[in-house]
Amino acid sequence: MYRIKKQDFSKIIDELIKTGNRIISYSNNGNDFKRINSSNELSINSNFKPSKLSLKEIVFPKTEPLFYYKRTNDNVELKDIKFDSEKTIIIGAKPCDAKAFSTISKVFNWDYKDNFFNSKYENTIIIGLKCDYKDEYCFCNEVGLSQSSKEGSDIFIELDGDDYFIYILSEKGKNLFQPFMSYLIEEIKESKVDDIDKIIDLNKVRTWITDNFDSNFWYSISQECLGCGKCAFICPTCHCFDIVDENYTYFEGRRMKNWDACQFGKFTLHASGHNPRDIQAKRYRQRIAHKFKYYFDKFDELLCTGCGRCSRECPVSINIFDVIKEINAK
Amino acid sequence: MDNIYKPTIAKIIEIIDETPDTRTFKLELQDPEYKKNFTFKAGQFAEYSVFGEGECTFCIASSPTRTDYIECSFKQAGKVTNALRKLNIGDVIGFRGPYGNHFPLEEMKNKDVLFIAGGIGLAPVRCLIWNVLDLRDQFNNVTIIYGARSVSDLVYKRELNEWQNRKDIKTVITVDPGGETSDWKGEIGFVPSIVEKVNPDSKNCIAIVCGPPIMIKYTMPILTKIGFNDESIITTLENRMKCGLGKCGRCNIGSVYVCKDGPVFTYKELKQLPQEY
Amino acid sequence: MNNLYNIAKDLFSTNKVDLIIGYKSIDSKRTKPIFVSSNEDVDHLVFNEYSLNNLSVYLTRKDIKKYNKIGILAKGCDIRAIVQLINENQIEREKILIISKKCNGVVKDFGLEYNEENIAEKCKSCKVRTPKVFDLMIDSEEEKKLPEPTISSRVNELDSMTPEERFEFWRNEFSKCIRCYACRQACPLCYCERCIVDKNIPDWIESSPTQRANFSWNLIRAFHLSGRCIGCGECERVCPVDIPLSLLNAKMGIVTFKEFNYATGMEIGEPTLVGNYSNEDNEDFIK
Repeated sequence: MYRIKKQDFSKIIDELIKTGNRIISYSNNGNDFKRINSSNELSINSNFKPSKLSLKEIVFPKTEPLFYYKRTNDNVELKDIKFDSEKTIIIGAKPCDAKAFSTISKVFNWDYKDNFFNSKYENTIIIGLKCDYKDEYCFCNEVGLSQSSKEGSDIFIELDGDDYFIYILSEKGKNLFQPFMSYLIEEIKESKVDDIDKIIDLNKVRTWITDNFDSNFWYSISQECLGCGKCAFICPTCHCFDIVDENYTYFEGRRMKNWDACQFGKFTLHASGHNPRDIQAKRYRQRIAHKFKYYFDKFDELLCTGCGRCSRECPVSINIFDVIKEINAK
Repeated sequence: MDNIYKPTIAKIIEIIDETPDTRTFKLELQDPEYKKNFTFKAGQFAEYSVFGEGECTFCIASSPTRTDYIECSFKQAGKVTNALRKLNIGDVIGFRGPYGNHFPLEEMKNKDVLFIAGGIGLAPVRCLIWNVLDLRDQFNNVTIIYGARSVSDLVYKRELNEWQNRKDIKTVITVDPGGETSDWKGEIGFVPSIVEKVNPDSKNCIAIVCGPPIMIKYTMPILTKIGFNDESIITTLENRMKCGLGKCGRCNIGSVYVCKDGPVFTYKELKQLPQEY
Repeated sequence: MNNLYNIAKDLFSTNKVDLIIGYKSIDSKRTKPIFVSSNEDVDHLVFNEYSLNNLSVYLTRKDIKKYNKIGILAKGCDIRAIVQLINENQIEREKILIISKKCNGVVKDFGLEYNEENIAEKCKSCKVRTPKVFDLMIDSEEEKKLPEPTISSRVNELDSMTPEERFEFWRNEFSKCIRCYACRQACPLCYCERCIVDKNIPDWIESSPTQRANFSWNLIRAFHLSGRCIGCGECERVCPVDIPLSLLNAKMGIVTFKEFNYATGMEIGEPTLVGNYSNEDNEDFIK
């Protein structure tokens, strides 16, 4: 644990920019994030609401090529993509966003390793920031996190007057700050244990989801759902994707990996016309069940970090925390 | 770093039209190193690409005991299968695989084996049939019950004849009532009712079932009636799959990814899944 | 008393409707759609400056269509969508009971205080604040004066750009698109069973959120809505990356009015713009 003056932290950031690192910081109002070119553009504010789009774009872009193909007379040449290796540092990630990275890393690495994800994730350093924002849509404490949760962060910052209090949590974080140790003053601070007042019994929710697959609840809770993909696309843990081919000319093209969502009507449509999830109620059931039961059964992690984005941004104001509360009350 | 989404190249060396809408490709892997090391087990599937159109999932229909070539059979249904039909001998496609789990060949040894298939559902089962026939003496009685809507919808016709002429297996071919031709010498009736008529001995027998959902729906209760328990009935599930690697979420049913934990499931495992496939 | 509660209660008790689609308060500055099928939930219904959703989007849904008589809370802009859906033969007039009120505008987005600064842009130039098509009118406040609209100045700004500058403007905006299709799903006039972007034989519009495909998608949607968009602005409100979709719709509306003297969804029975032709149609733009 270390203390560092804000201006010294800025000096470190400028030095990192100079040595070719890509620094991602939130914009002035916290609504979105961007690459910054100097520490003057840094925006470290613990009162920001979670940004509209999540940070997953950095390791799992909305579209990316998998390989190029070129058809010749009687053959096809496949050209490889060079894996991304740009060193990226995200500054000021909320606990709900930082945790999401390690959560989705599990699905991208079980058995087969998705190196499109890994090459970006391995080269990304996440500097988390203790969060002081809470509204009625947040429920990070219900899913095992809290406003000072350090899970998923390589380095964690707490604001302390004119200083930052820094925790260096991983090898990556240690190596990053190695050349700058002179700026850091070692200090032990007593960690205040967060008040984690939980009202949801996640085991109970899981059991109810298992036992009530055909319940009318799924219909009544999602009747107003429009079936767009907004919730899945802005969610930091949703990771479903589509693979399509795109041609430049008759002979050449590339295969793309794009964001996809189980909420779309045609997500499970077979070429034969059969659609196992043919009404929105079934698709919404999949969203809740996947996040709170299936992913947990498979990877021991919830596929939700309680950031509340989906609820804030839903065009018809469906609130995922309300859904879980209703299940919990059954 | 490996690119798990990149296919290897396969050339079409033979085309067989099974029915008006079903075609079989015989493929040869073009990368000699890859071809030498390529193995798979019966029941696994692969992703076949037409570059420029997309990728499609079919089981590998040839037996793992025959390694010079790979066969797949597909029905014309959507974008990629339409594009596959336009290809000729000598054209190349992409091949990614083998993926998924496989039929429990080892557990079937020294037991009776009952194959039940309907329509194009014979394709994944055919792979296992040849696998068993190539190792015939490791299995006891082998029975094949296969049916299709009509005579022209029967796939692998040349092999059906071969199986019928063999003395070491019992083969029963049927067509749906109304699908017979005037010179049809086989059975007439829906597959489930023919299974009931044949009444195979369920003691020490493993049943492999594959076909359209409705055929499976009516066959399972009959097998249970005859005395098969849920762990001795095995099926392979067709589901919309994309990556084949357990990541894209398309084939996710409950806590299971059909492309990784399947497509081969026992009836017992199938019953435990949420009923949405 | 013609307040919402009494009207709704009366409709159910006299069996005039078997479903009411309305709004329910979530907190002081947000509402959500609610489907009320009996007297039990009638007291949840509200209709205020935070009733942003265009509920007519539900009228073309299969599970809603099976009801015999549907009451729907609709602002003037929403009613234009209902009228257009009737004119396009998507719903039957007799099955719908339109419950409306004199509207003093809604907020730009949930969570904002209702005041002059936060009134939605569409409300400032609204011509149907007192709707002309409706079945029941709820008591409401007198019409307030709303601020001057700015949409036409924004459209003029775009119009005054050179084609290259305009292209650059939209290239920049569309590159943000993530193809979530929230705009399409929230739009009451986007009711195609299988949207052009979901068709893949042939692949009319590429599905990847690349610049070129996003251009195709957003432009094809603008084209398919020409003469059909009623300017409710839901598409822009729901867009997660704040693409100014209303500018496109506003420009379309201006052109269709200028060239064809046609404003979408004003009169039941009016022939649709692109669904009809007459020999007197203006052709001077065909060179």
